[in-house]
Formats: sequence, structure tokens, C-alpha cells
Amino acid sequence: MYPLVVRGWYGGLSAPERNLLTALVVLFLGITVGAIAALLVRRLLLALDVDDAVEGTSFERTARQLDGSTVQFLSRLVGAFVFFLAGLYAIRTIGLVPEEALIEEIGAFLPQLFVAIVVVLVGLVVGDKAEIVVSERLRSVKLPEVAVVGTLLKLSILYVASLVALSQLGVATAALLILLAAYTFGVFFLAGLAFKDLLASAAAGVYLLMTEPYAIGDEVEIDGHRGVVQEIDVFVTCIEDDGEEYVVPNRKVLREGAMRIRG
Amino acid sequence: MSELGDLLDDIVSDVDGTLLFSPSGSLYERFAEVDDPVVVSKTNSVGADRYVGLPLEFGDVRERVRFGVEGALENGFVEEGQQLACAIALFSEDLDTVTRVRAGDFERSGVYDLFVNSRAQPEVIQNVLEVAIELGKKGQKGKRVGALFVVGDAGKVMNKSRPLSYNPFEKSHVHVGDPIVDVMLKEFSRLDGAFVISDSGKIVSAYRYLEPAAEGVDIPKGLGARHMAAGAITKDTNAVAVVLSESDGLVRAFSGGEILLELDPEEY
Repeated sequence: MYPLVVRGWYGGLSAPERNLLTALVVLFLGITVGAIAALLVRRLLLALDVDDAVEGTSFERTARQLDGSTVQFLSRLVGAFVFFLAGLYAIRTIGLVPEEALIEEIGAFLPQLFVAIVVVLVGLVVGDKAEIVVSERLRSVKLPEVAVVGTLLKLSILYVASLVALSQLGVATAALLILLAAYTFGVFFLAGLAFKDLLASAAAGVYLLMTEPYAIGDEVEIDGHRGVVQEIDVFVTCIEDDGEEYVVPNRKVLREGAMRIRG
Repeated sequence: MSELGDLLDDIVSDVDGTLLFSPSGSLYERFAEVDDPVVVSKTNSVGADRYVGLPLEFGDVRERVRFGVEGALENGFVEEGQQLACAIALFSEDLDTVTRVRAGDFERSGVYDLFVNSRAQPEVIQNVLEVAIELGKKGQKGKRVGALFVVGDAGKVMNKSRPLSYNPFEKSHVHVGDPIVDVMLKEFSRLDGAFVISDSGKIVSAYRYLEPAAEGVDIPKGLGARHMAAGAITKDTNAVAVVLSESDGLVRAFSGGEILLELDPEEY
């Protein structure tokens, strides 16, 4: 009974009136769905403990100053995005903007913009968080310069995030990509060069620890140093001989061999 | 109440320095404004410049004060003969006691040296002591056990000892302080012989029969072969020995052939 009445009433309206009505309904739906989406995203983020994870990052601090939080900001962004889409559709229904193609373009561009914004936000937060975690880990290393590692990591993450965001928006990123490749190559090449000896020693150290060809207390001669083994760890073997202690890198043990002296 | 106030004033009048034992942050701030107190606690949570790290929460207050004063002397925070006021927690969690000592008044026991200036890392000695205290408290299946740990200078110790049986720790990479160690040591403590632990805390061997030169080792009469072996091995090598006595249940630490520390596990 009731739907029939509504349909009859709707049929009696003129075309512009119908469009206006549809636009209003779409707008209203947009607000509702946007609010629900915002709520759901907020719940999801809270359930994933994102609010704890972002604690202490500068983005969160800025959000706090504006009486909000990262979680709130992200969920509101999602809500606003849904609402904007609905608004766009409503405008198209009314036919306010004459150019159909413009709306099409905006409709295609909006999701990309949204993704770009989210990527930048996530990059900001993750970069900050990574810096905090790394510098906390490195705090036991009592070397002030070590803080640069955290900053470097943060900048790298921000760089990659902005690269992704820019390519989302269709900005030419080829030059930046080449820069990234050069940077990555530099990091890996330099790290490889710097850690070459450490890695070789560690590989040998694992073998030595597993098979224990010589143990603590054995008298050995490695690389011309003769003495009693005091300590074996992943990187080095400590040999002591009458007040002299040699710290021999493990790669030497494998390369030159060790002589065990039987007492 | 003014008499009580006077008494307190007498105790703290013309002291040359203050030692705060595990103070709260706000208390330290208040003190730091007037003079530069020495903080003695397990962790330097107040960020004091003049700080002595306590390796154990000594149950005996005298031991704690002694350790703090020796540490402060060693670090040059205070000088021999200075009058020191020590604020310390005796009954409650917060500071409730003030006592006055003269630095260097008691014989230097070397407790501080035992932890800080030994070959082995301080945490390793601390961990071994904790294991020994734990073992002393609980025993093995409710029965009292004895144990001997030789810490540091493992190469030399191994050369001055021989295996009593197969070494259960061969090719294993267990360090004191690993969670599994408590249980393992508890089980292996049933076996005779010493545990040998390296400078970095790796358990090198169990079941070792120590054969150090024992001349000139003087330990109090009444202690048995285990303590004798501990005294001798520490005199002969640069190791530190921690002994849990089977007869009286005390934990004793040896260095250079001397007993430096005596703890009752029940107090911890």
C-alpha cells in the first residue's frame, strides 16, 4: 500500500523535481554512509592498536595540538571522501555543472587524490615511528652520531611515500625514481662494503659455534698467535697468552686454519 | 618533638656528602638543587651524574651502605675520611632512614671491585649470584644443595681442571641469564664438580674437577672442600668463584683467594 503511494507521488513530479529529490537523497545517503565508514574505520584502527603504535610520533603530536588524534583524522578523512563522492554524484544528477566530462574527470581523480593523501599520512606516521623505534634500540650504543641512522630511515620512508603519492597523482616521477635507484644502490653497496668483514666473520663464526673444532680452554695457534682460547663468539675468537690477548676475527680462522696444540 | 629534631640535626650536621639509596625522581630533584648527591640504586632512573650501580638489592642494609660507599670512593665521588649521610629505605619502599658513616671507616672489603673490576662482565657475576641465591632458596626437590660456579678467565680455569664426566654443555650455547638456565643448573647441581662460566657469561662446562695450586689459601675453618677449591682457583687464576654452601646454605663470593661477599639467600 505504502510503496504504491510513494511511487504514484514520485511519478507525478516533473523531471527537474525528480532530479532534485534524487540529489537530496544521494546527499543524505552520502552523509550517513560517510559517518558509518568513519566510525568503522575508527573502530578498525583502534582494534588494530594503531593509536598505541603512533604514540609519540610528531604527526600524532600535531594532531593532539589540534584537539584530535591520528586515528580520528584518518577516519574523518575516509568519511569526507565518501561524502565528497556522494556530493559529486548529486551535482551530476541535478546537472548544475554543464560539462559532463569535467565531473567524470574529477570522479576519476578523487580516489587517486585520496590514496595519495593516505599514503603521505601513513608515510609520515611510519617514518616517525621507525625513527623512534630505531633510536630507542640504538640508545644502548653510547654514540651520539648513531641518531643519524634513525633520521636517515625516516627520510627514506618519507621519500618513498611521497614518490608513491606523486605517481598516484600522475606527476612525472621518472627522475625521482632514478634518484631512488641510485640511493638504494648506494646504501646497499656501501653497507656491503662496510660490513664485508663482519659478514664473513659471522658466517665463519656460525660454523665455529656449531661444530666447535676448538673449545674454550684449548691451546691453539691462529694466524701466528698462540694461546689459550678464552672466548668464541659470532665475530671473533679471543686467545690469551701470558698477559697478551689476541682478538682474531673468525674469517681468519677459516681462511688460514687453526692449529690445535694437544697438551 | 624538638629533641628528635635536634638528634636528626646532630646526625646530619657538617656532613661532606649525601648518598641517596634508590631515591624517587622528585626527591632527587630537590637534593640536586642544593648539593650534588651520589645516587646508589639498581638502575639510574633519575639520571644522576654521580651514580653507583647496585648489582643486587642487598637485603642487609649494612651491606648496601658498604657497597654504596665503596662504589662512591672508587669512582672518586667522595674522599677517604669524609662524613657521609646516607638516606636509605629500611622498612618501607620509600626512604625512611638516615645514617651517618665515615668513608673508609670500615675495612675495604672489595665488594665493589668484585663486580666492577673483575674479568667477567658485571651482569654475568650478578646473574650467577642470582642463580646461586635462587638455588639456595629453593634447593633441589626441597633438599639443600651445594654448588660452585667459577666465573671468568675460563680458558685458564679449564686448563687447571679436568672433566669428571662428559660435559653436558658441550656444543651448547647457553648463557647465564637465559631463562632456561635456572632449571638446567638446578638439575645439574645434583652432580658433583664446578660450573665454569666464561667472561661473557657462556656456560663452558659442568662437572669440572678443579686442580689449582692451593698453597697459601686461607679460608675460615669449618668450611669444606668446595670453598677450599673456590678459594684456590681464584688465587691461581683471575676468575671469581661463587659458592653455595650445602651445610649452612650461604652464598659466598671469592676473588683472589679471599671471601669478599657473604649472602644469606633467605633474605632475598
